[in-house]
Amino acid sequence: MIRGLWDRETVALLMIAAVAPLAAAWLWYGGVPAALRLVMMLLIAGAWHLIFLLARAQPPSYAGALTALAVAMLAPGGLGPLQIALGLSFGVVMGELVFGGWGRNIVNPATVTAMFLGFGFPAAGWPGVTAPLAWAAIGGVALGVGFGVMSARLAAGAIVAAAIAWAAGMAPDRAWMAAAVVFVLLVADPVTSAATALGRWLEGAAYAGLVVLFAANWQGATPVQLSVAAAFLASLAAPLLDELALWAWLQRRGRIHG
Amino acid sequence: MPPPAAAAPATTPAAPTVGLSRQRLWRALTEPLLRQNPVTLQILGICSALAVTTSLAAALTMSAALTAVVVMAAGIISVIRRHIPPSIRNIVQIVIIASLVVVIDQVIRAYLPDLSRRLSVFVSLIATNCIVMGRTESFARRNPPLPAMADALGNGLGYSIVLILIGTVRELFGAGTLMGRPILVSVDAGGWYEPLGLMLLPPSAFFLLGFLVWAVRSRWPEQAEPPDFVPPDVAEGRP
Repeated sequence: MIRGLWDRETVALLMIAAVAPLAAAWLWYGGVPAALRLVMMLLIAGAWHLIFLLARAQPPSYAGALTALAVAMLAPGGLGPLQIALGLSFGVVMGELVFGGWGRNIVNPATVTAMFLGFGFPAAGWPGVTAPLAWAAIGGVALGVGFGVMSARLAAGAIVAAAIAWAAGMAPDRAWMAAAVVFVLLVADPVTSAATALGRWLEGAAYAGLVVLFAANWQGATPVQLSVAAAFLASLAAPLLDELALWAWLQRRGRIHG
Repeated sequence: MPPPAAAAPATTPAAPTVGLSRQRLWRALTEPLLRQNPVTLQILGICSALAVTTSLAAALTMSAALTAVVVMAAGIISVIRRHIPPSIRNIVQIVIIASLVVVIDQVIRAYLPDLSRRLSVFVSLIATNCIVMGRTESFARRNPPLPAMADALGNGLGYSIVLILIGTVRELFGAGTLMGRPILVSVDAGGWYEPLGLMLLPPSAFFLLGFLVWAVRSRWPEQAEPPDFVPPDVAEGRP
């Protein structure tokens, strides 16, 4: 054991605990079809973790369950099992496992899967999000921050940006519920979000800003679709925002210490 | 990265035996197919490789056009290699390559007007293709016509192999057809196959090329580049 209680799997388990209320609400309202969908995602993600354990001796992670839950809740519905399996395999392998497993990936595998299925099968419909799910998601963020596995700055950045948009009269009325669910499932992932204090503020603000922008100007996009796209772009921008934060810190140090 | 044969002809005796020379020609022709493939090893010429591979017919036309240009350009430049002043050699090479490209472009426009519209500017852009420029600059400029043309043909075919592979996969899974003929009957036509629209979008070409490079470098590990960065050996990093 290294560093006491905290290793990768502790973080993954606490992440699962944080989204458990959201998953319970989703299963309660979705019934048996939702449960079957989740089981199928768990089996596919688990199979790939097992294959990489055998082929590359990469320890499997509970984060696979997190990916399966996010994909089951957010990926387009109405697709055959073959297409779902193709999309999830692409996301889990190319988004996470080829980089060395959870903790070394640069994009969230669930985001990759949702984007792959959305672009690959544009005719498939994106799922909707209801108010109970959104409240469960907000509770999930609070739990995650309390457990210390999600960043309070990330959430605060998103809330501040959304508040500014609301004050400017650009509130994304039709998107905020989907944006909350996507935030807790995809954006708040501790691996692929920004890692510096300023970077986290900026990434949260970037995510909320993109959601506001897409909700106002992206004709024909459903709330989940535009939130997932915003999460994808925000996570791609995260390393750049971290770099900016480090640069600002170096500038300040240079000024103070000469 | 020129193959090791590049510098050899200048130092070999005046009359090499037939067997040796044939062996060298064969090497110049076959090395770039897999072991020195210009696309998967040197990652050259990928902009056109990614842009024209949405259908197999376009990929085949582009492969033929590039192979023809690179072979002819290598032959011409090799013939006049002792007369090109080194200070303006790039300009001379580009003039020759661009003239050949104009001819090929006109031929395609005359005989394959539909494909020519689909290939749009990419045939004209062969003039700036890194493979053509690279082979004329690094090989044809220093070697006699026959080895130069064999080397150019090998590189053209190496590029063609990659284009045809990626074009086949993209057309088959993106539209369910090959050369326009239905293979996997799509749902719209009453079949069972749901076309993967992503295959016809540019990102899929990057994914497929990445898979191909991964496969080639797993099979021939000596093609893999050394790691950029070795993580420090710390206690936390050890299991």
